[in-house]
Amino acid sequence: MKELTWEQQKRYQRNILLPGVGIEGQKKLLRGGVLVVGAGGLGSPVAYYLAAAGVGRLGLVDADVVDLSNLQRQILHRTGDIGRPKVESARDKLVALNPDVQVEVFPERLSAASAVSLIERYDIVVDCTDNFATRFLLNETCLRLGKPFIYGGVLAFAGQVMTVMPGAGPCLRCIFPHEPDPHVPGCAELGVLGAVPGVIGTIQATEAIKYLLGLGDLLVGRLLTYDALSMTFYEVSIDRDSGCPACS
Amino acid sequence: MRLEVRVFSGLEKYIPGARFGRSIEVERPEGITVAELVDSLGIPRSQVFTVLVNGRHAAMDAVLQPGDRVSLFPPVGGG
Repeated sequence: MKELTWEQQKRYQRNILLPGVGIEGQKKLLRGGVLVVGAGGLGSPVAYYLAAAGVGRLGLVDADVVDLSNLQRQILHRTGDIGRPKVESARDKLVALNPDVQVEVFPERLSAASAVSLIERYDIVVDCTDNFATRFLLNETCLRLGKPFIYGGVLAFAGQVMTVMPGAGPCLRCIFPHEPDPHVPGCAELGVLGAVPGVIGTIQATEAIKYLLGLGDLLVGRLLTYDALSMTFYEVSIDRDSGCPACS
Repeated sequence: MRLEVRVFSGLEKYIPGARFGRSIEVERPEGITVAELVDSLGIPRSQVFTVLVNGRHAAMDAVLQPGDRVSLFPPVGGG
């Protein structure tokens, strides 16, 4: 890879100063590709922080258009974006933030037919979806391709996050083998504090950046749970389930 | 037998005094299943999406052992 330009050295100076990052680490980020599935409450902070950090290639998958009720938490989108495809609204902000980043947009719902060809083009996948059916598809496809993926979820004042590293710890279905009962209320019924996906998405972005840099310890086998009301984080150690429908 | 129960992400509301992630010690008869424990705590089974016993997923019909650490979660699925 060619050397960093003067502008890049300045833009990423606070990254480059970090122990274990340096110019070489920054080049790793610029060479990196992350697929962000969902451009809503979690996808907003994830994509913003990855773009700001200089991750070279971001893929955004989302079939929805921006709705007024999204704007309380989905900070990639603005009032003037209402009615626009979320991935296009997101791309505008991310490219404006950092022209180094190549933003590839997929205005579609992830399907069994598209998952492999999409995921195999990236180094790591960040789950910013709002349903377990898509999460399970991500989980199974990433296991098959040997790609790490970072689960995140939010509900009301709570959130949780875990990194799935194929072959090195539990997968999502070791914890959640089945889809939830469709009658159990979610964020559309119970609400969600806008900053909660901000907290969880920021942790997901941190995990993705650490993975690309090869730094630190990832949340493998550690379900990190967050409660905004008591302002508490609690880590639950998870073992692989020998009866897991996906990875056993 | 004594069990250590933790509830997360909104399930606290079903147990008076319970706090997110804080362990609650309960006494229950030997041979009790996960489902019976959930019922006895006053949590609707439909609200419990996943149960971990000592860090491993457990089915609702799993029989609990003395000292088990039981964690109960609703579906935290929004994005």
